[in-house]
Amino acid sequence: MISAPISFVFGLLALAVVVTVPAATLVALLWWAAPEGQPLMLSRIAITDWPTAIWASALHIAIAALLAVLVVPVFARWHAQLTLALLAPSATERLAARVETLAQTRAGAVDTHQAELRRIERDLHDGTQARLVAINLRLGMARRVLSTDPPAAAKLLDQARDGAEAAMDELRGMIRTIYPPILADRGLSGALQSLAAQATPPVRLVAGAIGKLPAAVEVAAYYAVSEALANAARHGAATTVMITVERVSGTLRVKVTDDGIGGADETRGSGIQGIRRRVAALDGVTTVDSPPGGPTTITVELPCE
Amino acid sequence: MRVVIAEDNVLLAEGLNLLLGQEGHEVVATVADAAAFVAVVDRCRPDVTIVDVRLPPSFRDEGIRAALAARRTRPDLPVLVLSQYVEPAYATELLAGGAAGLGYLLKDKIGRVEEFLAALQRVAEGGTAMDPEVVTQLLARPRDSPLDGLTRREREVLVLMAEGHTNQVIAEKLFLVESSVHKHIGNIFAKLGLPSSDIGHRRVLAVLAYLNHT
Repeated sequence: MISAPISFVFGLLALAVVVTVPAATLVALLWWAAPEGQPLMLSRIAITDWPTAIWASALHIAIAALLAVLVVPVFARWHAQLTLALLAPSATERLAARVETLAQTRAGAVDTHQAELRRIERDLHDGTQARLVAINLRLGMARRVLSTDPPAAAKLLDQARDGAEAAMDELRGMIRTIYPPILADRGLSGALQSLAAQATPPVRLVAGAIGKLPAAVEVAAYYAVSEALANAARHGAATTVMITVERVSGTLRVKVTDDGIGGADETRGSGIQGIRRRVAALDGVTTVDSPPGGPTTITVELPCE
Repeated sequence: MRVVIAEDNVLLAEGLNLLLGQEGHEVVATVADAAAFVAVVDRCRPDVTIVDVRLPPSFRDEGIRAALAARRTRPDLPVLVLSQYVEPAYATELLAGGAAGLGYLLKDKIGRVEEFLAALQRVAEGGTAMDPEVVTQLLARPRDSPLDGLTRREREVLVLMAEGHTNQVIAEKLFLVESSVHKHIGNIFAKLGLPSSDIGHRRVLAVLAYLNHT
C-alpha cells in the first residue's frame, strides 16, 4: 500500500534524470526552428541564440549527470531497502511459519510415537505375556504329574518349550520393528548392505562416506529404503533397484530408483505415507517421482547436523 | 570336552555352564568380553568355544570379530557363535575363512538340548552347524534359478545339508535309507552344477556359497 506511491516518486525522479540529457541536447540543436515569439525553454531560460543554447543545455546535462551519480543510487538503495522491508516476510513472520511447521511435524511425531507404544504394549500383552502364562501353567502341571505320569509330564514340558520358542520368535520380530538389530551392530551402511543382499530384485548400492549419524536418522533412512524395496518388489514389477546414499552439507540424501511400472499410488497403502510421516517427524523431506510407465524414484532428505 | 564360553549375559552364561556340566563337559573359562576371549583361548587351548555375537564394550558384533580373530591365529579353533537374531551377512563373514569347525546358531536353539549338544559336538569335530533359519532365509529369496528344478525331497535334503548334517543324520531326520540320501545329494549337485564333494564342511560351504551368490 505505502510501497506504490513511494515507488512512483522514485521512478519519476530517475526518469527525469534520464530524459533531461536527450531533451537538453535536442533543444540545444533545434532552438532555431521554434516559431518567432515562442522560443524553446530549458527550465526558465528562453533559448534565443547559440551561446544561450549551449550553456543552458550544458548546465542541464551537468546537473542531470550529477544527480545520476550522486543522488539516484542513494535513492535507489533506500527504495530497495524500503520495498524489501515492506514486502518480504518479517523475521517474526518467518519464525511463526517455522513454528507452525514444527508444531505440525511434532504433533505427527508424537502421534506416531504413541501409536507405536500402543502397538508394542498390545503385542507384549497379547503375545509374549500370554505365552509366558501358558508356559508357566504347563511347567506347574508337569511338576504335579512328574512322579505319577512321566509321559504326560514329558509332553507338557515339550509344549512349554515350544511356547518359549514361539515367544522368543515373537520378541525377535517385535525388536526388529522397534530398532533393527543390524542397524545397532553395523550402522546404516552395513544395514543397507544387508537389506540389499536380501532383497528380491537385484540391488545396486552406492553409499558415499556418511560418517556417524543420529540413531533416529539412521532408523528413518533404513525404513525408507526397506519400504521402497518392498514396494518395488510388490507393486512396481521392478527387475533392478539402485540405492544411492550421500551426505551433503548436513543433509543425508537417500535415493531409491527402480525400473518398474511406476504410477505409485500413495493413497493405496503403499507404505510411502509411512515413509513421509517418519521423515517429516525429523524435519526431513520425502519426494516421490513415479510417472506411469516408470521409473519410480523415492528420495528422502534428512537433516543430520 | 573342554569348553570356553564368551557370554556377558550372566543368566545365559550360568545356564550354559549348568547344561555343559550336566553333560560331563568341562567349562575351563567363562569370559565376558572379546579381548579376554582371544587371550583365554590362546592360553587354555579348548576343544570347542561358544561365543555370543554381542559383547561389551559396544554390544555390536564383537563376538563375530573375536571369533574371526581367534581363528586367524588358530585356524582350526572350533567356534560356535550364538546370536539373538539371524543375519545372513554374519554367516557369510564367518564362513569366508572356511566352514570347518564353525557354527552359527540362534540362542533359541539352546532349548533343544539334544540338538544343541549335537551341533556343539559336530563343530568340535571340525564339522559345521548352520542355523536352519540362515538356510531358510537364503532359500526364501525368490529368483529364477536351478533351485526351482529341485523336487520337494531334494530341497529338504539341501536344507539339512546346508545346516551341516551328515548323510546318516539326514537319513534319520527324513526317515530315508542312507543310500537314497546319497542319490538325492548326487541329483542336487548335478542340477545346481556344483562339483560333488563328500567332505562335510566343504560341502556346506559349496551349498551356502551357491545360495548366497545366485
